Amino acid sequence: MTGPNLVALAWRNLWRQKRRTVLTLVSIAFGGFLAVLMTAMQDRSFADFIDNAARFGAGHVTIQHPEYRDRPTLNRTVEGTDALRGIAEEDGRVVKVVDRTSGQAMVSTAKDSFGAFFIAYDPELETDETMEFTQGLVAGRLFEKADDDGIILGHILAKNLGAELGDKVVYTLTDRKGEIVSGMERLSGTVNTGAISTDAALVLLPIGNIRNVVGYDDHESTQVAVFLKDGRRAPSVRDAIDAKVDDTRVVLTWDELQPEIKAFVAMKIGGGRMFEIVIGVLVAAGIFNTIFMSVLERTREFGIMLAIGYSPRQIFSMVMFESGFLAIMGLVGAVLVTAYPYWYMHGTGIDMTELYAEQGGVDIGGVGLDPILRIGIYPENAAVIALAIVIATLLAGVYPAWRAGRVDPVESINLM
Amino acid sequence: MSNTPIVQFQGVTRVFQQGDIQVQALRGLDLAVQSGEFVALWGPSGSGKTTALNLIGALDRPTSGSVKLEGKELGTMSRRELSAMRRDRIGFVFQAYNLIPVLTAFENAESVMALQGTPASERRSRVMQLLEDVGLKGMENRRPHELSGGQQQRVAIARAIASNPAVVLADEPTANVDSETAEKLLTIMAKLNADHGATFIFSTHDPRVMRYAKRLVGLVDGRVHTDVVKEQGADHHPETAAHPA
Repeated sequence: MTGPNLVALAWRNLWRQKRRTVLTLVSIAFGGFLAVLMTAMQDRSFADFIDNAARFGAGHVTIQHPEYRDRPTLNRTVEGTDALRGIAEEDGRVVKVVDRTSGQAMVSTAKDSFGAFFIAYDPELETDETMEFTQGLVAGRLFEKADDDGIILGHILAKNLGAELGDKVVYTLTDRKGEIVSGMERLSGTVNTGAISTDAALVLLPIGNIRNVVGYDDHESTQVAVFLKDGRRAPSVRDAIDAKVDDTRVVLTWDELQPEIKAFVAMKIGGGRMFEIVIGVLVAAGIFNTIFMSVLERTREFGIMLAIGYSPRQIFSMVMFESGFLAIMGLVGAVLVTAYPYWYMHGTGIDMTELYAEQGGVDIGGVGLDPILRIGIYPENAAVIALAIVIATLLAGVYPAWRAGRVDPVESINLM
Repeated sequence: MSNTPIVQFQGVTRVFQQGDIQVQALRGLDLAVQSGEFVALWGPSGSGKTTALNLIGALDRPTSGSVKLEGKELGTMSRRELSAMRRDRIGFVFQAYNLIPVLTAFENAESVMALQGTPASERRSRVMQLLEDVGLKGMENRRPHELSGGQQQRVAIARAIASNPAVVLADEPTANVDSETAEKLLTIMAKLNADHGATFIFSTHDPRVMRYAKRLVGLVDGRVHTDVVKEQGADHHPETAAHPA
């Protein structure tokens, strides 16, 4: 080959101070590990949190009456829900579409009465993914069909009511005409969602029974709940569905329906980003220090190189190659350091049940948190971290490389 | 020998600013060196030897006056042009720590040729021959830290001459080696001068260098004080000639 082999020169330079290079690589790898861990924890918890919010609410995307959000009464319904489900199911990003009716109710037993929030659902349409919180069944059984018998209560509500399985529970609500109506069922089950406020107010009913009580037809409900593979796609799915339905319905995303949860997620993501930036700046400062020290130590050498004919650009390139090698090796190191902990935390996770139990459950805005702490990173966020490592390392090398190319040969050669 | 000087100084001054003080390193230096000469610039510290070498080596620019290398004015060249001039027309041997530590003796010696874009095969044959000429056959793959100070200087000499420069500048090349090594280095450079016609200009305090030099230019206070061309074979020591004050 012709021309100086700057890449080989850079590689050898990197290993002149093995300990320093290894320490730098460790700091890059550890920074990458922390960034991935933080982001993966955040991504997973928020994905789970959003999914839970969708389950407790009315899906990632909801079709409902235009006034229902501000006045959630049972006279504000959507009709033709079978057709609406068909429209939503045409979208490949949608995994499930279900009818739900929800609202306020008063529940009473022979011993006490409490205000409650009910969700009426069709057990034949719902799956574990859309009604995962029913997996927290404490006692009794779940519904099997839309006109099944029974009523399921949050376990705290059941306790407050003094209700045991098989006891009569009367629920009272306002029907579509504004008249007070009531139904009576025997307690068929209790659930523990992990959210105290929810468990103290939740009532689950089969949707067929509610339709009979409030006078809905078979394809009428307060909401059509659309569940997605990836909750982050809610805005675009909303727009796609919205384009196909008339003005008698509105299509909303989970965060439009639950702004307090949106605010919480945004705050946590903002905090997480700040933490990541702090980690990034600290790691970049460490890399800068390493490269800059290495350049200062070689001032005379650069002077000699410039004197014998290396151009400033060649010196700059050589130092930048050194940064590039650090970036690539640091990235590989980060992958190696992160792989096993990520695999373990992604699959097995850490069981926080006891900790949560001591606190009586943990919830935000009535949405419970998964007691198993697991992580999972969105691929695009992993790519951003990898790119950030490379860019930060290269940027940390720019000034030292520029300084190296600007060395004055006369002054530097006199440095002995 | 051509009559056109390979190096020419005309009324060169070089002033350095050190804080509030101006230091005049050269005060109207006039000097011409012909191709193939073996010249020693000598004189006391502060006489302007190194400054003169830096100007010839395109490492510095004069404050006033003209410095020409092969007839080309160096003072008006851009940084890039000066860099190319150093690479293509000038060989350097510094006092010590001349070499790039991560390159082998062979790689150091061929580095300037590589910068010039000389094909690898041509570099190899030229550098192997030169390393043999300077007595380093078999040591091509050693890194600088595996070589003695004298051996490192020999590699630097090989590197300086490998690219066939117009002039080789050696700034006190024997300052950091013992007497025996100094003699060997000087013998090698004298032989390269004789065999290859390479022009050498030294700056030195060392009487041994002056013994080998064919021309002695004594500098005092930034001007030429004495300029003696020795007769062939003469051991013309400055102590026996006009000595700069």
